[in-house]
Amino acid sequence: MKPESYIWIENLRKRYKHAKADAVHQLSLGIDQAEIFGLLGPNGAGKTTTISILCQQLTATSGSFYVNGHHYQHDKEKIKKIIGVVPQDIALYPQLTAYENLKFFGNLYGLKGKILKSYIHRHLERFGLLDRVNDRIEDYSGGMKRRINLIAGILHKPQIIFLDEPTVGIDVQSKTVIIEYLKELNKKGTTIVYTSHHMEEAEQFCSRIAILDQGRIIENGSPAQLIESYETCQSLEDIFLHLTGRKLRD
Amino acid sequence: MWLKFKASIQKEFLLLIRDKAGLAILFIMPMALVLIMTLLQDSSFKAIGEKQLPLLIVNHDADTFGLRIIEGLKSSQFFKVVEEIEGQKLDEKALVKQVEDGNFQIGIVIHPQATHAIRESVKRKIQGQFPDDELFALDPTMTQVPAKVDIFFDPVTKQSFKQVIISALRQYASMVEANIMFSIYAQMFNDLLGVSVSMDEEFGSMVVFDQQYASTLKSNTIPNSAQHNVPAWTIFAMFFIVIPLASNIIKERDSGLERRLRTLPGSYSAILVGKTMVYFIIGLLQAVSMLLMGVFVLPYFDMPSLNIGNAYAPLLLITIAVSLAATSYGILLGTVATSHEQSSIFGAISVVILAAIGGVWVPTFMMNDLMKQVSQLSPLNWGLNGYYDVFLRSAAIEDVFQYLLLLMAFMLSCLVATFAYNRLKRKT
Ligand SMILES: Nc1ncnc2c1ncn2[C@@H]1O[C@H](COP(=O)(O)OP(=O)(O)O)[C@@H](O)[C@H]1O
Ligand SMILES: [Mg+2]
Repeated sequence: MKPESYIWIENLRKRYKHAKADAVHQLSLGIDQAEIFGLLGPNGAGKTTTISILCQQLTATSGSFYVNGHHYQHDKEKIKKIIGVVPQDIALYPQLTAYENLKFFGNLYGLKGKILKSYIHRHLERFGLLDRVNDRIEDYSGGMKRRINLIAGILHKPQIIFLDEPTVGIDVQSKTVIIEYLKELNKKGTTIVYTSHHMEEAEQFCSRIAILDQGRIIENGSPAQLIESYETCQSLEDIFLHLTGRKLRD
Repeated sequence: MWLKFKASIQKEFLLLIRDKAGLAILFIMPMALVLIMTLLQDSSFKAIGEKQLPLLIVNHDADTFGLRIIEGLKSSQFFKVVEEIEGQKLDEKALVKQVEDGNFQIGIVIHPQATHAIRESVKRKIQGQFPDDELFALDPTMTQVPAKVDIFFDPVTKQSFKQVIISALRQYASMVEANIMFSIYAQMFNDLLGVSVSMDEEFGSMVVFDQQYASTLKSNTIPNSAQHNVPAWTIFAMFFIVIPLASNIIKERDSGLERRLRTLPGSYSAILVGKTMVYFIIGLLQAVSMLLMGVFVLPYFDMPSLNIGNAYAPLLLITIAVSLAATSYGILLGTVATSHEQSSIFGAISVVILAAIGGVWVPTFMMNDLMKQVSQLSPLNWGLNGYYDVFLRSAAIEDVFQYLLLLMAFMLSCLVATFAYNRLKRKT
């Protein structure tokens, strides 16, 4: 079947080895270009699994997907070239400085020389880290690490950015600067796919969301649409609790 | 691709030089080990290298044959002739017991009247040619010539070694016999014709013996303390690289860095190859620093300086092969181990065991036959044998080829296993 949206996911299924149930179950979804798409759900819903498959970190048990018309298997490299990935965990070298880390990732994305230098400089300035550029990551605070973790994934100006819980566990200032910057990139046409369990943030940030539970999409649409369609609910958080229940997840 | 490779090398290099403890393990520890072990073992290696083989002799023949044999053996640089134990001359029975108990590897008994028997047999032969005259007064009891010498070996003595000893002794004995024969003829001429024939003094020296003995020993020349310890601990240190390397791989995996790196365009292998390259080069640097220490530092401690010979190409190839084998082993370990603890403990123990059976601690030439067989299973032993060949025998590339081949095979098996394991794991 031909892909019908920018990111087109069909019957994606992932069963981890030795797992009793699917982590992602028959997930189908279309994401348009220049959207800010939120994958929302409680812990263990399958957000990380889904996003890991989309950015080629994991292979799906079955199903397929296309990114910008590129088949996930046949055109793997083409997909890798246009995406940026910001993982849930801080995936940086603690013993290296911020500059050394960013230079390394920039090089791996094919950036070098003056251009790379100016990109790094601009991003660090924007995220208020310029004066700490030569400090090692291990000496950074949690919020600062998150910001560098983000920069490392978007330095090369990708068309699509996948972010897994980019705002988890950080101060309001860090969170705000991250969200603001992503919005800016989106205005210039970058597609953003992000996961969160933070409903309020998602309600303001996303153009469209999907609520995931136990590996299945149980609702999707724009935040405004959804709030309208659930008469008793005032916010995304109400809908979320309404749909996923109050039972603890992990 | 090239940029990826370069970036990876830069990154690993920075990580390494920031890890002071790791550097100490890789460079300071092995240098200290070489120094200490060379010092400790210097005297024992000297003892082995210069040791004369004790030879127990019971001589019942106080005449030419017995005396000449003992004199000859004493003049040989390879034997220490022992004729009495605790001030007591032995009899044959006591000698056999000493050898059987393993106190001596070789015992020789020279029979009484050996010289007499030789003389008689010579006289009989001469007499046989002149049946009509009576030239000599023959001894009627000596019609049957008895064995003149018995040689007893410790049962563990190697067959090849026995043969060398026996054939050399036989040659020497026949020289002494010829000597005796000559003197009889000389006497006869003198008596009959009044012509004096003089003996060549050189006749019957032990030269032949020493030459034979030396040539068989040459193929397993014993290294001195530096020639053993420097390469042995160099290889050990080079293999110890598996611990920081495996730990590096595990760190990258556990921190999510590896997964992040896999999302990048281009092959992940370029990054792995870059990493491997850095550790490979560290291995070479280790080898260079340790060998230089062997050559230049050891003499300051009153040790033999390491003679690295002049077979530089084989030396370089062996070093490269050892470093490649060690890094591949580290990659395999880092891939298969599930935690830092696991990789460090298993890595350290496996390297120590491979070192022990491979003859790093106790050199293989001091091992028994079983352990000698076992030692051939250790990659550290292949490397060590390669270095021995280079240092002791200035080997050509063909001579160390088998070791190079083995080390390369080990490297390939590690890489194939790593690849297969990754394949399997990615399927989960
Ligand atoms: N490597 C793994 N092996 C086995 N099960 C896993 C693994 N990673 C995640 N899971 C399971 O898959 C489900 C989805 O996990 P995940 O995608 O991380 O959820 P989320 O990111 O939404 O919190 C959970 O039940 C989790 O326990
Ligand atoms: Mg997650």
